Amino acid sequence: MSFLEIRNLSKSFDTTQVIVDFSIEIVEATLCCLVGPNGAGKTTTMDLITGRQKPTSGQILFCNDDITGLDEHEIARRGIGRKFQVPAVFRDLSVRQNLEVAYSKSTNPIKNMFRFRATGFAQKLEEVATLAGLTDRLNVEAGILSHGETQWLEIGMVLMQDPRLLLLDEPVAGMTEAEIEKTVSIFKGLKATNTLVVVEHDMAFVREIADVVTVMHMGSLLAHGPIAEIEANARVREVYLGDAEA
Amino acid sequence: MAVGSFFGSFDWSAFLNALILGVSIASIWLIAALGLTIIYGTAGVINMAHGEFIMLGAYSSYMLQNYVGLPFFLCVPAAFVIVALVGLILERGLIRYLYKRPLDTLLATFGVSLVLMQGVRLIFGSDPKYLAVPPIFTSNFQLGFVNISAFRVIVLGITIALVVALWALFYRTRFGVQVRAVMQDKEMAASFGINSDRVYMLTFAIGAGLAGIAGSLFGVLNIVLPTMGTGYVVQAFLVVVVGGGTLAGSVIAGGATGELQSVFAYFTNDTFARFMLYVLIVVFLRIRPQGLFAPSAKRR
Amino acid sequence: MNIYHNVKAQWLAYAAFFAVLALVPVLVSDSFLLNQFATYGVFGLLALSISLCWGFGGILNLGQGIPFGLGAYGMAMTMQMQSQDASNPLPPFMLNNSLDHLPMFWEPFRNTTLGIVLSLIVPTLFCAIFGGLMFRARVSGPFFAIMTLAMLSAWYTLILDVQPYTNGANGITPPSPLKLGEIVVDPYSPAAYWTVLVLLLVATVTAKLMTLSRFGLVVQAVRGDAERVRFLGYNVAGYETLVYTISGFIAAVAGCCWVMLTQYVSPAQFDTTFSLSMVIWAGIGGRLSLLGAIVGAFLIQGAQSYLGDTFLNTWLLVLGGFFILVVRFLPKGLAGLVESALGKLSSRRGRDDGNGVAASRLVPQPGE
Repeated sequence: MSFLEIRNLSKSFDTTQVIVDFSIEIVEATLCCLVGPNGAGKTTTMDLITGRQKPTSGQILFCNDDITGLDEHEIARRGIGRKFQVPAVFRDLSVRQNLEVAYSKSTNPIKNMFRFRATGFAQKLEEVATLAGLTDRLNVEAGILSHGETQWLEIGMVLMQDPRLLLLDEPVAGMTEAEIEKTVSIFKGLKATNTLVVVEHDMAFVREIADVVTVMHMGSLLAHGPIAEIEANARVREVYLGDAEA
Repeated sequence: MAVGSFFGSFDWSAFLNALILGVSIASIWLIAALGLTIIYGTAGVINMAHGEFIMLGAYSSYMLQNYVGLPFFLCVPAAFVIVALVGLILERGLIRYLYKRPLDTLLATFGVSLVLMQGVRLIFGSDPKYLAVPPIFTSNFQLGFVNISAFRVIVLGITIALVVALWALFYRTRFGVQVRAVMQDKEMAASFGINSDRVYMLTFAIGAGLAGIAGSLFGVLNIVLPTMGTGYVVQAFLVVVVGGGTLAGSVIAGGATGELQSVFAYFTNDTFARFMLYVLIVVFLRIRPQGLFAPSAKRR
Repeated sequence: MNIYHNVKAQWLAYAAFFAVLALVPVLVSDSFLLNQFATYGVFGLLALSISLCWGFGGILNLGQGIPFGLGAYGMAMTMQMQSQDASNPLPPFMLNNSLDHLPMFWEPFRNTTLGIVLSLIVPTLFCAIFGGLMFRARVSGPFFAIMTLAMLSAWYTLILDVQPYTNGANGITPPSPLKLGEIVVDPYSPAAYWTVLVLLLVATVTAKLMTLSRFGLVVQAVRGDAERVRFLGYNVAGYETLVYTISGFIAAVAGCCWVMLTQYVSPAQFDTTFSLSMVIWAGIGGRLSLLGAIVGAFLIQGAQSYLGDTFLNTWLLVLGGFFILVVRFLPKGLAGLVESALGKLSSRRGRDDGNGVAASRLVPQPGE
């Protein structure tokens, strides 16, 4: 049984095809890195999985349920969390409030009017804040965080959601070496219980964490397999690694 | 049989009259919306003072005509210049600080509209003023069995001329290339040496000037009052919203809403037609919230 | 930490504010003045509703006159029908417009309870449907503001146009005060003042609790970045529709109270100027503070009636100018001044450990 399955996905804007007949299967409890040159369609793929954009054709199955064309919030409720390329946090709320919003066990607006504290929030907050290193920044307005801290906050928000599948778009961009190392260890820890898809350009980071690597080029699948296999692939070297790792 | 009698009794000439009146209404709404369209389309600013710019256009024509004795057809370009200057001052003094806060520009320009309206009322009083035009323009003439006023034809002509001129400005000049570059990506445009500040400033001034032209024409169609702008501005906004903020969108939206208004009014009456039109626009936005021709949204 | 952000201190400020308002009927013996103060309470309700919708939800609503006006018309129709009886079943203006029987939609207003219920439900339902349509289509920000303005002007022309049913521009002037069973609510009595005050109190406390709840938190997140909230699993349109509808309901209550106090309603309640002045009250008072918005309404309407009609034009000119300055330099309004003053006070006491929310920071607006 496959965890996330994408079948013959295509997406075009007007006349330009951004995703062309893209198919892939993601196995549960693995970390898959999605790589490819700029404009390969990585972020668009994430948009299509999370419902931000609707595919022109094709199917997306999550735990054998067809989630193609559902609204963003419905997909999120099924357990898919996402971190954006440009960190998106609520700048005029405090860090604690950001994490509280992300702790979305109850989403019904009317019920939430009568709820002032979410059950189990304090414990989860403690856990995530420690993991993300934000324990002593909880009362700070998120808008004044540094870029690295903002990245951590958004990763923390995704963790608060308790998703089964995490889609992370360039999570280590702008982080220091030490921070990247910490991220690596967190992601490796997550792999035991969660499934992760990470878009990343930093090949050293990819080598460190990836179980499998998926290479996209011009909107379609170029290669899919373990990192060693990918790095040996002549086509991949030509279009991508060749430039990046020369 | 029933259908036949319906068509038999249907007053085709009156209906055709309504259609032609619709074109005229469309041209009035469109000329009111042109300035708003380019200001919104370029800078993303919803200018609530647009109606008062129209009003200022009418008053400046009135002043030039009565105190300077300028003939009406020179008042029109003069109104463009005067209101464009007012727009320029407003942009430099206020709007440019608010580009990152779209809702606040809306509010601040509402404050401006209040100030302009009350200011004019304090200076000129609340009694109506009139703009005079040469008598041949006030006459009606017969086109087949359709009867229209000559001045409405002139408004239509000027609207068409302005649309063509704006199209040429935005798609055939260097300035137009700069404007479109800034619209797509301000930072990128800046790295190519385009001064987006200057682009916004000029667009705002041109947009204001267009309202001035509309005002000097509306002053002839109607009386000149401090509150005259508010009557046009809602229609102008709707044209922009339905059109999606592009020139082509506004032209089509203006045409469609003007015609629908006229046709609905033919079957019911003016006010009920407007109510129906607004409800229809709400339903339309449910289906196409981005309007007819919206430029693709910026992505994260 | 700035005491302004302390929830306990906020509740205390609310208590003090309402205690002062409760003193008014004791101190004011002039019944005309008391009636005037009661109408300020109605404006306070409106400013509160705007603060909830715009300040907390980020939904700028330029058409709050719709629920207010619909509520007011419903109440006026109810009160008008209280003066009609079997021998005289039609309001005089209908006779003048040569109607020979009561229009269908007037029928339910012959029953006072049903009339008041309808006065509240119809505007609320309108907001739910209109808001639902717009928010599900993801119309937001300036576009939504424009659409509310357009709807407002549509209602204005419609009410003006159906003269035989609404008495057009003249409006409806119920001849006698509202009767609730055996009780007559004299608009100039302290009872009328108390009614409005209690409603304002209930609305304020409810609204405050709402902003403190998880619902309020999500709504504030939507204000910051609606798109991001969707990916956390919340149905954003549902939250937006709900906050807009609740705000509309408060406005409908205000509309009913207003007619109870003035025995008058006209299309002027649907005028754009009126709806925009509500936004000015909340903007100048402080849209992010429920109390600030209410105080804003009191101050501006108070000043306006103090200056009287002679200076009305000059006053509106000054008000417009002042509003521009507030938008430009003081987005949090007068409440923002209080906030930063208290912030300075607490940091001078050396209690600010750099961990508190920076007081003078402006609220960042949603990016694109």
